[in-house]
Amino acid sequence: MKEISSAIQLIPLEHYIFLSVALFCIGLMGVLFRRNTIIMLMCIELMFNSVTLLCTAFSAYHSDPAGQVFVFFIMIVAAAEVAVGLSMVVMMKRNIDSVDINLLNRLKW
Amino acid sequence: MVGLIPIINIVWLIPAFPLLGFLITGSAYKRLKHRQAGIIASAMVFFSFIASVVLYFVLRSSGQESATVTLFDWIAIYNMNIPFAFLIDHLSLTMMLIITGVGFLIHLYSIGYMSGDERVNSFFAQMNLFTFSMLLLVMGANYLVLFIGWEGVGLCSYLLIGFWFKNPMNNYAARKAFVMNRIGDLGFILGIILLFFTFKSVSFSEVFSQASAFQSGAPVITMITLLLLVGAVGKSAQIPLFTWLPDAMAGPTPVSALIHAATMVTAGVYMIARSSILYNLAPITLNVIIILGLATAILAAVIALRQNDIKKVLAYSTVSQLGYMFLALGLGAYSTAIFHLTTHAFFKALLFLGAGSVIHAMGGEQDIRKMGGLSKTMPVTYVTFFAGTLAISGIPPFSGFFSKDLILSKAFEHSVLLYIVALVGALLTCFYMFRLLYLVFFGEQRLPGHPHESPRVMTIPLVILSILAAFGGVLNIPSFLGGNSNFSNFLQSSVISKAPEEISHSTEIGLILTSLVLLSLVILLAYRTYVRKALVPAEEGKSIFFFNRLIERKFYIDEIYTEVFEKPFGFLSDFLFSKVENTVLDPAVDGIGSATSGFGTLVRRIQRGNISFYLFAMVAGILLFIIFILIV
Amino acid sequence: MILLIILIIPFITGLSLLLIRNSAILKLVALISAVANLLVTLSLIFSASVSSYSVDWISFLGTKFTLGYDGISLIMLFLTNLLFPFIVLAGFKRDQNQTPILYALILFTQSALIGVFLAQNAFLFYVFWELALIPVYFILLLWGGEGRRNITLKFFIYTLTGSLFLLFGIIYLYQLTPGSHTTDFSAFYQLNIPSTTQVWLFWILFIAFAIKMPVFPFHTWQPSTYTMAPTQGMMILAGVMTKMGIYGALRFLFPIVPKGVLYWQNTVIIMCLIGVIYASVIAFRQTNLKKLIAFSSMAHISLMAAAMFVMNYYALQGLLFQVISHGVTIIALFYIVNLIGERTGTLDLSQMGGIKLRAPNLAILLLLVILGSIALPLTAGFICEFLMITGLFQQSVWFAVFGGLTMILGAVYMLYAYQRVMLGDLRAGFERIPDIRSLDYIFLIPLIIIILGLGIFPQPLFNMADESVYAMQNFLKPVADSILAIIR
Repeated sequence: MKEISSAIQLIPLEHYIFLSVALFCIGLMGVLFRRNTIIMLMCIELMFNSVTLLCTAFSAYHSDPAGQVFVFFIMIVAAAEVAVGLSMVVMMKRNIDSVDINLLNRLKW
Repeated sequence: MVGLIPIINIVWLIPAFPLLGFLITGSAYKRLKHRQAGIIASAMVFFSFIASVVLYFVLRSSGQESATVTLFDWIAIYNMNIPFAFLIDHLSLTMMLIITGVGFLIHLYSIGYMSGDERVNSFFAQMNLFTFSMLLLVMGANYLVLFIGWEGVGLCSYLLIGFWFKNPMNNYAARKAFVMNRIGDLGFILGIILLFFTFKSVSFSEVFSQASAFQSGAPVITMITLLLLVGAVGKSAQIPLFTWLPDAMAGPTPVSALIHAATMVTAGVYMIARSSILYNLAPITLNVIIILGLATAILAAVIALRQNDIKKVLAYSTVSQLGYMFLALGLGAYSTAIFHLTTHAFFKALLFLGAGSVIHAMGGEQDIRKMGGLSKTMPVTYVTFFAGTLAISGIPPFSGFFSKDLILSKAFEHSVLLYIVALVGALLTCFYMFRLLYLVFFGEQRLPGHPHESPRVMTIPLVILSILAAFGGVLNIPSFLGGNSNFSNFLQSSVISKAPEEISHSTEIGLILTSLVLLSLVILLAYRTYVRKALVPAEEGKSIFFFNRLIERKFYIDEIYTEVFEKPFGFLSDFLFSKVENTVLDPAVDGIGSATSGFGTLVRRIQRGNISFYLFAMVAGILLFIIFILIV
Repeated sequence: MILLIILIIPFITGLSLLLIRNSAILKLVALISAVANLLVTLSLIFSASVSSYSVDWISFLGTKFTLGYDGISLIMLFLTNLLFPFIVLAGFKRDQNQTPILYALILFTQSALIGVFLAQNAFLFYVFWELALIPVYFILLLWGGEGRRNITLKFFIYTLTGSLFLLFGIIYLYQLTPGSHTTDFSAFYQLNIPSTTQVWLFWILFIAFAIKMPVFPFHTWQPSTYTMAPTQGMMILAGVMTKMGIYGALRFLFPIVPKGVLYWQNTVIIMCLIGVIYASVIAFRQTNLKKLIAFSSMAHISLMAAAMFVMNYYALQGLLFQVISHGVTIIALFYIVNLIGERTGTLDLSQMGGIKLRAPNLAILLLLVILGSIALPLTAGFICEFLMITGLFQQSVWFAVFGGLTMILGAVYMLYAYQRVMLGDLRAGFERIPDIRSLDYIFLIPLIIIILGLGIFPQPLFNMADESVYAMQNFLKPVADSILAIIR
C-alpha cells in the first residue's frame, strides 16, 4: 500500500489534476456534442474515470483511504449505470432502429 | 278633546276602505262578474266619503283644528323616528273630501263607461289602489308617509295610462309619465333628506314649529323648498316636466278625469300649500314658482289652441290651470291655490267625464273635427259640458270665476305685468274652451252615425258635478260681494298665507269688469269663427304660417326631449356596453389571462425534449454558477 | 353548539343525498333540511342568549375553530338560510341531470356560506371563503348553459386571484399579532397598524371583496356568468355570494384598517357610484333578460358598496336591510325570468311581447317584484334606498344625487323590460303559454310577502342589526375625528 502511494507521489499532484480535467472536459464535450447514445455513455464513463483518477491521487497525497473507498463506489455505480444505459440503448435500437439521442424528444410532452 | 279621541282613531278606515276594495277586486279579478267589481269599488270609495264627512263634523264640533293619529312606528332607528301617522286638519280634510267625493262620482261613471271592457275588474282594482294612495298622500302626517302616497299614485297613474297595454304607444306614454315623475321624486326625496338633517325630523308639526327659528331667505330653507319644488313640478306637470301629462291621455277617460285632472296632478299644489311655512321663508323659491307657473299656464294654453283631440285640449288646459295654481302658490296665496284646486277638480272632472261621454257616443272617436252638432243628440252631456266650459272660462257666477278672479287680483297686487300676462292666459283658456264646445256640440254633424245619450249611470255624475262646478264658488264669496271668504278662513289654521288679504273693492270690481268685457269679446270671436263661419281646423301640418305649425307641433318640445335625452341615453348605453365594457374592461381582464398563457407558449419553446440541449443548459448553468461564486 | 348544528345540517344532508336515487324524494329531503335550518336560525335570532362555539384546531398556528356572531353576521346568516329553501324549491318539478350531486353541491355551498358568516377567525373565514367557491364552480360548470367552460374558468380564476390577495393580507396581519401569533379576528382588531401601512393594506384586503361583490371595474366576470348560470346557481351567486363581499369588507376593512378606509373612502365611493350609473345605463339596452337583471343587480350592489363606505349609521343600516331585500328580490326576479324562459323558449327581449294576455297572474307577480326592485315605497327596497341615500347625503350631496339616480334609471330599464316582455300585442307562437302553476305561487308569494312585509314593518330587521351598526359607527367615529383633526 505504501509503495503504491509513494509511486503515485512520484508524479506531482498538478499533473494528475491537469490530466483529469482534460479527461473530464473531453467526456463533457462528448456528452454535449455527440448524438450517438453509445458514445455518450462512453463519454460519461470517461468523466467518471477522471473523477476516479482525481480521487485516487488526492487520497495518496493526503494519506486518507476514504478517497479510495469512493473510487470503488463510483466504479460500482458506473457499472450499474452502464448496464441500465446499455440496455436502454438496445431497446432504443430495437424500437426506433437508431441510437441517435435527438430522436428521443418525447420528454417535452 | 277627550270625546274626540275614540272617533278620530278610526281615521285609518278612510284609506282602508279603498285598500280593501283593491284587495277584493284585485285578488278576485277573474271571478267577479259583470259590474260587481265596479259596484264594490264605488261603494268602498263612497264609504270613505261618508267617513270623511263624518270626520269633518267631528272635528268641527270638537273645536280642534288638527289631530294626529299614529298607527305604528314605521322607521325608528338612531335619531330617525318616522311614525306611520295621519294628520287630520282642515287642509287634509278638504283634500280628502275632494278625493273621495269626486272620486266616488268618477267611479260611478266608470261603471257605465268601462262596461264591456274585458279587464274592467282590473280597472276598478287599480282605481281603488289609486284612491288609497292619494288618501295616504294627503293624510300623511310627515313627508315620508306623504312620499308613500306620492309614489303610489305615480304607480297607479303608470298602470292606468297603460291600461290598454296592447298598444305600444300607450305603454310608452305610461313609462314616460312614470319616469318623468321619478325625476321629480328624486328631487323630492333629496329635499326630504335635507329636511331631515336640518330639523332632525320629517313630521309636519315638528318641522313647522322649528322653522320659525330660521330667517327668511336662509339658504338651507331655500334649498329644501327648491328640492321639494322639483318633486311638485314633476307631479303637477309644470315646465320642464309637463310633457307626460298630454301623453297620459292614452288611458281611459275616467282615469284622465280622476288622476290627471282632479287629484293626482294637484298633489304638488297640495304639498307646497302644506309646506307653506317653509315656502314663506324662501322668497327666491316663490319667485321661481311664479315664473314656472305663469310660463306653464301661457305655454299650455297656447298649445291647447290648436289641438284637435278632445282629450288633448283638456289635458293642456289642465296643465295650464295647474300653472295658475302654481302662480297663486308663488304669490303666497296658498289658500287661493287650494280653492282653485277645488273648483278645478269639479269642473275639470266634469269636462273630462263629458268628453268621455262624447267619446263613448262617437264610438271611440276623439277628433273634434269629426264631431259637431251633438247638442241635439246628447242634451245632458251638452248642458253639463257647457256649465263646465263656463266655469273654466271664469264667467260669473260659475265656480271658476271666483277662484280665477282671486288669483288674478293677487297677481295684480304683486305687479301689473303679472296680472296682464295672467289675464291673457285666461282669455286664451276661454277661447280654446269655447272652440272646443262649438266644434263638438254646435253646427252640423260631420260624421255619419247615430250618437246617443249615455246611460244614466254616466249622466248622473255629470249632473252632480255640473252643479258643483256651477255653484262651487259659493264656498268662498269674497267680501266685496258680501261674502266672508269662508273657504280661505277655513284653511287659515293649516295654511299660512303670505300676501296681505284685501285690495280695495273698487279696484277689484274694475278688474272684474275688464276681464268680463274681454271674455265676452273672446267668446264672440270664437262664436264667429266656429259657428257662424263653421270653420273646421285644417289638417295637421297644412297650416301656412310657421307659428301655427309651431303650436300644432307643441313647440317641438317632445321632439327636443327625445333628441336631447332619450336618444343620447340610448347611444350612451350602447357605447358603454360595446365600447367600454366589451372592448376595454372585459378584454383587459381577459388580457391578463392571455398574457399569462402567451408567456407560457414562449417559455415552452425551451422545453423541446432535446436531451443534448438539456445537458448543455445544465452545464452552462453550473458554469455560470461557478463563475458567479468566483466573482462575488 | 347551536351554531355548529346550523353549520353541519346542510353538510350532512348533502352527503346523505348522494345515497338517494329517487330525485323527488331527494329534493324533498333537501328542502326539509333547508327549512329545518331556517327554523333553527330563527330560534337563534329570537333567543336571548348569545351562543358561540370554539375548539382548538391548528394549535401551532394559533388557529382556533371559533364560531360566533354579531348583528351583521346574524343578518347574513338569516339571509343565507332564508334563501336556500327557495333555492332548493326552485328545482322542484323540473328535469335536472344528476340530481343527487346537484343538490348535494347546493347544500355544501350553504354550509360553506354559513361558515363564512359565522367564522370568528380569519384563517377559518378564508377556508370557508374558498370552500364556498368550489361547489358553486361545479354547479356552474356541470349545469350551466352555453359557453360555460370558458366563463366558469374566468369566474373561478378571477375570484381566486382576489382571494390570493386576501390570503396575503391575512398572513401579513398574522405576523403582526403579538406573542405567539394568532389569526383570531379579536386579535386583529387590537392591532394598531401604522397609517402608511394601512393605506396599502386596504387594497390588499379590499380587492377580494371588490371582485366578489362586484364593484366597478372588477365586475366583468359577472354578466356572462349570470347569463349562462343555471337558475339555482344564479340565485346562489346573486342572492348570497355577492353579499359575501359586503360581509367580508365589513369584517376586515373597517375594524382592521380604519385609517386606510378613511384615506380611500371618497375614491371608493366614486368608483362605486360610477358602477351604479354605468350598470344602470348599460342595462337599458340589454336584449337578454338575464343580462339586464345581472346589470341591475350590479347597480344595486354598487350602491350598497358606496353606502358601506360612507360609514354612518343610516347607510350601514340601509345597507344591511338591502342585503336581505336585494337577496329576496333578485331570486324572485330570476325565478320569474326562468319561468318566462321556460314558457317562451327565449330570453331575448325583442322576441317577446304580450305575455300578460296569456298569463296575467305571472305579469302581476313580476310587476310586484319589479316594484320592489325599483324601490317603491312600502316595499323593502324603498326603506334601504332611502336610508342609503340619506347616508350618502350626509357625506356629500353629490353622492346622494348620483346614488339617487338609480331611482330614475332603475325605473327606466326595469319598466322597459317589463313592457317588452309582458305588454304589447301577443307575439305569434305565444298563444299557448300557460299561466303560473301552484308550485310557482308557493315559491313567489312568500317572497313577495317578505318584500312587502319588510317595507311596511321594517323595525324587526333594524333591531337585529342595531347594536352592531351602532358599535361600528362608534368605533369608526373617533378614528375619523382624529384624522380630521390632523388634517386641520
